[in-house]
Amino acid sequence: MEGITKFFAASGVLANDAVDLVVEEGEIHAVIGENGAGKSTLMKLLYGLEHADAGEITFRGEKVAIKDPFVANRLGIGMVHQHFKLVSDFTVAENVVLGSEPRARGPFIDRRSAVRDVSKVIEEHGFSVDAKRKVQDLTVGQMQQVEIVKMLYRNAELLILDEPTSVLTEQEIESLFNTLKNLLGRGKTIILITHKLEEVMQMSDRVTVMRDGKVVAVRDTKDVDKRELSRLMVGRDILLEVDRKPPTYGDPVLELKDVTIRCRGQGRPLLDRISFQVRSGELVGIAGVGGNGLAEIEDVIGGLRRATSGRIFLHGEDVTALGPEPLREVGLAYVPADRLRRGASLPTTVRENCIVTKHHDFLRTGILQKRGIRAFTERLIEHFSIDAVEGMPAGNLSGGNIQKMILARELAAETDFILFSEPTWGLDIASSQFVYEKMLELRQRGAGVLLISSNLDEILGLADTVLIMYRGRIVGRLENTESLSKEIIGEYMLGLRDDSQSPSAVASAEGSRG
Amino acid sequence: MDRKRIAGLLSSTTGLALTVGIAFVIVIILIFVLSKEPGRAIYYFFVGPFTKSYYFGNMLNQSIGLIFTGLGIAVAFRSSTFNLGGEGQAYAGAMAATVICLSLPSLTGIVGGTAAILGAIATGAFLAGLSGFFRMRWGTDQLISSFLISAAVILIVNYLVTGPLDDPTNSMLTTARIGQQYQFLRIFKPSKLDISIVFAVAAAIATYFFMQRSHWGYEMRMCGINREFSRYAGINVAKYLMVPMAISGGFHGLAGAVAVMGTHYRCLKGVTAGLGWNGIAVALIAKNNPVAVIPAALFFAYLDAGARAAMLHADVTFELAKIAQAVIFFLVTAQALYGFFTTRKRVAA
Ligand SMILES: Nc1ncnc2c1ncn2[C@@H]1O[C@H](COP(=O)(O)OP(=O)(O)OP(=O)(O)O)[C@@H](O)[C@H]1O
Ligand SMILES: [Mg+2]
Repeated sequence: MEGITKFFAASGVLANDAVDLVVEEGEIHAVIGENGAGKSTLMKLLYGLEHADAGEITFRGEKVAIKDPFVANRLGIGMVHQHFKLVSDFTVAENVVLGSEPRARGPFIDRRSAVRDVSKVIEEHGFSVDAKRKVQDLTVGQMQQVEIVKMLYRNAELLILDEPTSVLTEQEIESLFNTLKNLLGRGKTIILITHKLEEVMQMSDRVTVMRDGKVVAVRDTKDVDKRELSRLMVGRDILLEVDRKPPTYGDPVLELKDVTIRCRGQGRPLLDRISFQVRSGELVGIAGVGGNGLAEIEDVIGGLRRATSGRIFLHGEDVTALGPEPLREVGLAYVPADRLRRGASLPTTVRENCIVTKHHDFLRTGILQKRGIRAFTERLIEHFSIDAVEGMPAGNLSGGNIQKMILARELAAETDFILFSEPTWGLDIASSQFVYEKMLELRQRGAGVLLISSNLDEILGLADTVLIMYRGRIVGRLENTESLSKEIIGEYMLGLRDDSQSPSAVASAEGSRG
Repeated sequence: MDRKRIAGLLSSTTGLALTVGIAFVIVIILIFVLSKEPGRAIYYFFVGPFTKSYYFGNMLNQSIGLIFTGLGIAVAFRSSTFNLGGEGQAYAGAMAATVICLSLPSLTGIVGGTAAILGAIATGAFLAGLSGFFRMRWGTDQLISSFLISAAVILIVNYLVTGPLDDPTNSMLTTARIGQQYQFLRIFKPSKLDISIVFAVAAAIATYFFMQRSHWGYEMRMCGINREFSRYAGINVAKYLMVPMAISGGFHGLAGAVAVMGTHYRCLKGVTAGLGWNGIAVALIAKNNPVAVIPAALFFAYLDAGARAAMLHADVTFELAKIAQAVIFFLVTAQALYGFFTTRKRVAA
């Protein structure tokens, strides 16, 4: 790709400014840069989803015009988007063949051979999904496998992965990387976008660094270190470090007592007698592998799912039966893991996204006051340095900026309890740092903070108390002291350790909390 | 407005214009095949509505009901609730207005008329709100429930018109005539155009502001675009399965009242027939934008007036006129529907 330029009139952003990107056959090429640097845009241009204002793309020595993804597919270019594009009530096989279905007779799709072909690809590459399952029943890691299978089914030779690891747990990342290495062995070429520098160091052969729509450096990975990369990316030294002062606890702000969620027809409850509290001034971290109850805890505290039994107290009030609306009145702010469907409304303007939880404040005799709303939104945009214009659709923001917008909105609620679920998925280092500081600031101020995260560094860096979920139960309840390590938490997460079984351990955990 | 939005608007309007053009060409071909004097037929089909102030006024009058039902559908669709029961709601509204007018013969026009209009709105709102309630309570499919309720209501109103409320002094299937004081002022004689067109235009503008700026409008739109998000953010999602439906039904009931009090002065059998379905087409063409409902409704009224004029002045039969209308109707709605579903899909992705 040479001299690629793309201007978005809607936001007045020059997303790509004469960008050159050279990817050699058979390499893993990392593309890094801060939120809004233009990485996704560049990839969309290569995949035919957007059209460059200027520049040329040469693929295997030939100049090509990629006007849409079909052309890209034909050339052997495949892409896994930052935000998955799967149809959730279709099966895995149906999703994979979508757009290039094997035909039976006339317009009918040959389902059987679809399942057979897809299963073959799945098997060949050692994936673990079942071609006949519906996508909505899959974990995020499995959905990603489906996306990769989709590319392989179309015989893609150049695979573009836009932030594939941001939503995965460490185990899933490991298995993804094994897959990628495997694919590399079969002669595929991979472009990998990520915000995690370890991944760049570990996986890539070369790395292109973008800043403000321009390429600022191209390096062989073996010649650089993380410090240099981050300096190239942001223009200054930045390393994730937080200064966590010793906590001072007050009264509990959130308390769960024996909260259980049972699904009809399922043996194991999704949540099994979950009890814990978050005190004022305390940051509690919950860790676990996906599918072990983290999502359910998020839902039940957010008021989006009713507990089958047990009680929940927020600021001393019994909120077990309350939905999101009264909960927010009692004092809940909540950053959801699913930012695209739950956290934001992509077709609506940034402005309307920002006020959704407090639009009542902008009412005068039933009419929304435009001026106040604008001013409020602009304040959030400025304060959180979101790359956005208040009137543009939220869907046009870069992935990281959508998340920043959600964070800004929830933090602006200034509640004494706030729930963060995977807050830094897709955020660049500087923004993550900013969020961490905000979280600690809240805790310092005496708010209770609950952090659900699959990122153990995050948990270890921030939490005062660490809870670990396994198969719907809290199997570990630990003070975050010097002696606590990722390895120990990891063992709990995989079910290798389980304190909840031995009564003495529970007792000592209870004791240490008093 | 930015470039992209203008481009988008242009492409959708040119697309629409193209479809209308193609539809017109098909109609012209049809007329050439079936008419002995095609020139005359085509002339009256397309220009007829503008040749006499009588036709022109009637065309405007026709658009009034379509504006109201179009608004009703636009509000419902914007909120992702679905009202396929417009036919029954409008008909029931017409009946309610008639009954109220007939049973209050000695009130002043303002008092009794207001009662009749409110009664019609309440009737439509209740019928559509019922579907909303069913969905809220049991998750019943709104498309089906609203359609079925409406189908039953049409039969009931038919029974009332032809049975207990039939006017025996008259050979038509109709109720008695409402009092003079309840008949809307005609503003463009000799045509049937009445004062309610002013209210229709005002209603469209008011609805636009209601949807864009009001508390309920905002919440309804948010629910319409993304219910998961709205629920998470603390908007009462269940309420907005019902409220937009009730508003939609209210508009349909109002359309029914206006048909009686502005045009026919009695509840004839099938007095509002077509208003409900055409309202859907109008809303689709208007892309559910309340202000755009006005030109969309005018377009539909124009088609109807053209067909009538061609029938009167040329050898165009009723069937040909209806077929010609249907061709345009289907093509235009298909195009609008296509846009509706593709944007939906994009939203869902
Ligand atoms: N369709 C669009 N309309 C207007 N502006 C856009 C559009 N798509 C992207 N942009 C803008 O272009 C810039 C680059 O966005 P891009 O998505 O490429 O960033 P990114 O590097 O992928 O960031 P992230 O790490 O947050 O995903 C952003 O400022 C974004 O707001
Ligand atoms: Mg991106």
